[in-house]
Amino acid sequence: MARRSLRSLNPLLLWGFVLWAVTYIGARLAIDHGWGGSGGGKVLLALVPLPFFLAWLTGLVREFTRMDELQRRIQFEALGIAFPLTLVLVMTLGLVEAARPLDPDNWSFRHVWQLLVLFYVVGLFVARRRYRYDA
Amino acid sequence: MKTRVRELRGERGWSQAELAERLGVSRQTVNSIETERYEPSLSLAFRIAGVFGATLESIFQPDVNASRE
Repeated sequence: MARRSLRSLNPLLLWGFVLWAVTYIGARLAIDHGWGGSGGGKVLLALVPLPFFLAWLTGLVREFTRMDELQRRIQFEALGIAFPLTLVLVMTLGLVEAARPLDPDNWSFRHVWQLLVLFYVVGLFVARRRYRYDA
Repeated sequence: MKTRVRELRGERGWSQAELAERLGVSRQTVNSIETERYEPSLSLAFRIAGVFGATLESIFQPDVNASRE
């Protein structure tokens, strides 16, 4: 993706992400602090970030349609690297968990998404490097 | 694949940004095509040929050494 100013960025992409992150952190803190009463209220709290996530996702899809073919290829290669890494991580975690119970606070599948983001960033770095700008 | 995009662009005195604007792609795409890191799709190759007023085969040639490997 070409470097662009924040002002030219798709507003759904920018504000969708900001609002999703804020509501996600807020919902997480609220649930951890026991807000929302019984189970139903907590589930509602857990669903609050979802519309903002969907808005961000819509912005992301629109952003893909604005990309040219090389930029799409870079995204494809980044995902092509991230996906097998994710597969290996999930399968390895599954095997290790079958061998001995993992600490749910550190190795729960709740935390795996952070590594998925990391794998995507690694894939993006590798793909961008392949097509880096040369004078 | 060998390409003459850089040569043809130079003849016209266009910058990579200018060619990218004419083709509706990013400057990174033009650069990657010129440095032969990226082979354009057929539709983009036709657009490149159209912008230069040349035929496809006069701009892009198969890399003979690569095809022998």
